[in-house]
Parts: sequence; C-alpha cells; structure tokens
Amino acid sequence: MSAAPLLRTAGVTGGYGPVDILHGIDLQVGAREIVAIIGPNGAGKSTLLKTVFGLARLSGGKVFLGAEDISGWAPARIARRGLGYVPQVANVFAEMTVQENLEIGAFLRRDGLATAMERVFGLFPDLTAKRHKPAGSLSGGQRQMVAFGRALMLDPQVLLLDEPTAGLSPKYQTQIFQIVRDIRAAGVAVLLVEQHAKQALALCDRAYVLAAGCKRAEGRGRDLLADADIGRLFLGS
Amino acid sequence: MDLLSFVNFYLVPGIVAGAIYALGAIGVTLVFGVLRFAHLAHGDLATFGAFLVLALVGAGMTPWLALPLAMAAAALTAIALHHLFYAHLSRRSAILTVISSLGVALMLRAVVQMIWGVDTESYVSGIDRPQSYLGIRLKDRELWTLLATAGLVVGLLVFLGRTRWGKALRAMSDNPDLAALSGIDKRLTTALTWGLAGLLTAAAGFFLGLNTEVKPLMGWHMLLPVFAAAILGGVGRVEGALLGGLLIGIVEECSVLLLPAQYKSAVAFAVLLVMLSARPSGLLRGKVL
Repeated sequence: MSAAPLLRTAGVTGGYGPVDILHGIDLQVGAREIVAIIGPNGAGKSTLLKTVFGLARLSGGKVFLGAEDISGWAPARIARRGLGYVPQVANVFAEMTVQENLEIGAFLRRDGLATAMERVFGLFPDLTAKRHKPAGSLSGGQRQMVAFGRALMLDPQVLLLDEPTAGLSPKYQTQIFQIVRDIRAAGVAVLLVEQHAKQALALCDRAYVLAAGCKRAEGRGRDLLADADIGRLFLGS
Repeated sequence: MDLLSFVNFYLVPGIVAGAIYALGAIGVTLVFGVLRFAHLAHGDLATFGAFLVLALVGAGMTPWLALPLAMAAAALTAIALHHLFYAHLSRRSAILTVISSLGVALMLRAVVQMIWGVDTESYVSGIDRPQSYLGIRLKDRELWTLLATAGLVVGLLVFLGRTRWGKALRAMSDNPDLAALSGIDKRLTTALTWGLAGLLTAAAGFFLGLNTEVKPLMGWHMLLPVFAAAILGGVGRVEGALLGGLLIGIVEECSVLLLPAQYKSAVAFAVLLVMLSARPSGLLRGKVL
C-alpha cells in the first residue's frame, strides 16, 4: 500500500437514529487498491459505507479523503470531492435511458461531460449498443454497469460498492468481479462490501473482517483466505 | 347516424374536453411523481387560474395576453401553497398532505368567491360559429384549445426529455434517493414541479372556462375526470396523462349515446374504479397511487 491513503477512517462510530452500529472502525484505501469488507450479516458492513458517504449518522471518529477531513459532509459534497457510491438496491434510474443515467451521474459537473461519458462507454463497451434503452430493461449485470457508470461520471478517486453481486446469478457475479478489476485498471480505487466472502478475498488486495460493528481482522486477501480461524468463523469452511 | 355526425357531435367535443382534462391530469401526475401524494386542490387551482384570466380580461387585456400572465401567477401560487401548507408535512404520512390539500381546495374556492362572487361568467360574449374543415366542424375556441394543449404538451415533453433540469425532475420522480446522491437539489425540483403543475392547471381552467362557463365550482367538478385520466394513463407518466385525458373526454361524450346526460360524470368514476381494480398501474405502467 502506498504511504498516503486516498481514503481513511479513524475510529468511526455511527449508525441510524440513537443506536450506534459501528464501534471505532479504522480502515484505509490506497491508490489503485481493491479493498473488501467482509463479515456476517448484520456486522455493519453496509452501514460503514453509508457512514463514510454521509448517509448514516457519524457519531464519533473522522473520515479523510486525501488530507481533507470530510466527516459529516453531505453526500453530494462528498461526491463532488471525489468519492463515488453505488447503493446495493435501486441503484439506477430504471425509467431513464442508459445515457440519461450517466448524464444524471454528471449532474454536478460543469464541463467534460462528453469525455467522461465516452470513458464510461469505453470501460463498459456492452452498454454502447444499449445507450438509448431504459436502464430497467437491461440484464442484471448490465444494470450494475450502469450503476457503476453513473458513479464514475464525476471521476471519483475511490468508488464505494455496496454488495455489487447481491441477487445476481454466478455468471453475472464473475462478470461484476471482472468489472471491478477493470475499474481499478482505469485508475480508480475500490472499497467494496461483499457477501460472497471467498470470491471477494480472491479479488481484493486487502480486506477487513467486521463482526458486530467491530473490526476483527485485516490483512491481504489471500492471507485471510488461508487463515483457518477466519475461514471457520466467517467463511463457513 | 353517419360517421361525420358522430365525429362532429361526439368525438370532437370529447377530444376538446379530453385535452382540458389532460392539462389538469399532467399536473396531477407530475406532483404525484415527485412528491408522492394526490393533490386535491388541483381543480380549485384551475378555477383560480380561470378567474385570474377573467380579471385581466375585465381590465381590458385580450385573453391571449392574459392567459400566460395568469399561468405564471398560478405557478407562483402553487409554489407558495407548497411552502405554506405541504412542505412541513413531507416527512409525515402522505394522507396528511392529501387532507391538507383538501383544505387548500376549500380555501382557494372561498378566495375566488370572495373576490369574484358566485355568479357564472364568460370570457367573450356572442356566438362562436363552427368552421368546417373537410366536413369536420370546429369552433375557433375548440381549435385554440387543441392547438394550445398540443403546444404545451410538446413543450413540456421537450423540457423533460432534453434539458438538464427536465431530466433532473424525471430522475427525482424515478428514484428520489439516487437523485439526491447525484447532487440534485430536492427543493429546486419540488419548486419546479409545482411551477409546471400551476402553469398547466391554470391553462386547463382557462380552456374549460372558454369552452363552457367560468364559475367557482368548475375546477372542483373537473377533479374527478382529471384523477381518472391520470390513473388511467399511469400515474407519473406525462404521455399517460395525455392519453388518459383524451380517453376520458371521449368516453364521457360518447356515454350520452347510451346513458342519460346527467350520468356523464359518473362515467369517469366508473373508469376510475375499473382501472384501480383491474390495472392500478394504468395503461402505460405508472406508479400505484
């Protein structure tokens, strides 16, 4: 990992309403890294992404994007500053065309719309032919591409993906993991939450294991995959 | 009855009434799409717009200059009503906003009656003789109604389909959370929605008054066919509201062939009931009210 992380959380505590779900989470994402967050259901994985992006309440700790403290910022301001977020469900505008989805993704952009759009179509060539089709009419995998594409329109440094393979068939899961690699190859770091822990560990550079809102382990993906305790506790093996 | 008589005595009046319903229904559908509640003051906002035109015409203006001014005033009124009566309820159950809009309907009607009285008025006096276009007889006011409706609908569709803010409004209607994540300001899209609804509703009121009479209950009586049109077409869909409006107008006029004329407004109600039980998402698959 490079010396200066792109995204860093320090002692993040937070949740919804009066209840804290996360308890003092530290994590880092470096340039061109794929970092996975795994753990059992209810561990607080998705809540962590939402707290980083300003969608859930941050009650303690800090979030830094580069050197800047973005703790407590509104999501749109965070997005403008270089963090992209793809929600797990309802992550496209189903009635709008693929191109319109990307245009809305670039709503906060003053210029460079055409360049950003061609970059997304270059990354997801399958979408080019579906440009003028409603996003809701696409297959599950292609719909995820639109969701990623929308978040990529503001040229984020780091992309947060909340369970991108949830509800997809194994064929699409493989496709989505390949897309995550492509996004990294295009120079964007990725922080993803995954239910499919084994595949996620095989894909990522580093991973954090969360349980009951606390960080239980961290390390390189393949080391965690080989760790017998982690396997027994979290991977069902 | 030959075909031309059917066209002249049933189809043409049906299409004209339908075009007016469509203008109202598009407003209802836009408000529901973005704000997710049934706006019951819509008819009385139309009445208010119709009487504003009447006041300006009374002051010596031609109706065609008075109409855009009244539309703009109704748009501002709609935005103000939102801030005064609906905005603070937005986090509560939608039924509270619906009931609040019923109260606003009664208030608007009372304002109209206080300012302009309870009498029946009209914009122009004299007889408007129909002209024949290849055998199809159209009065000038009917022709203007159809042309203006077409112009407004095309303008709205271009705005929604081609412009940055039009797309933002559709995005807010499609997926409000994702729209907010993308940096679209909910307050601005809400104001825009009310502005557009006010413009179109005032136009509906004016054309209703032009083709019938200007009276304080005109908009309230239009509310049922307007909601029936919005639901028939598919709530949240502008093209659906247009289609629904035209169909309700035509079905109402044609019902006179089978039913006594006083049951005309019951027909819209029947269409509404059948649609809600058989296909609540409407002909063009909109949201379920």
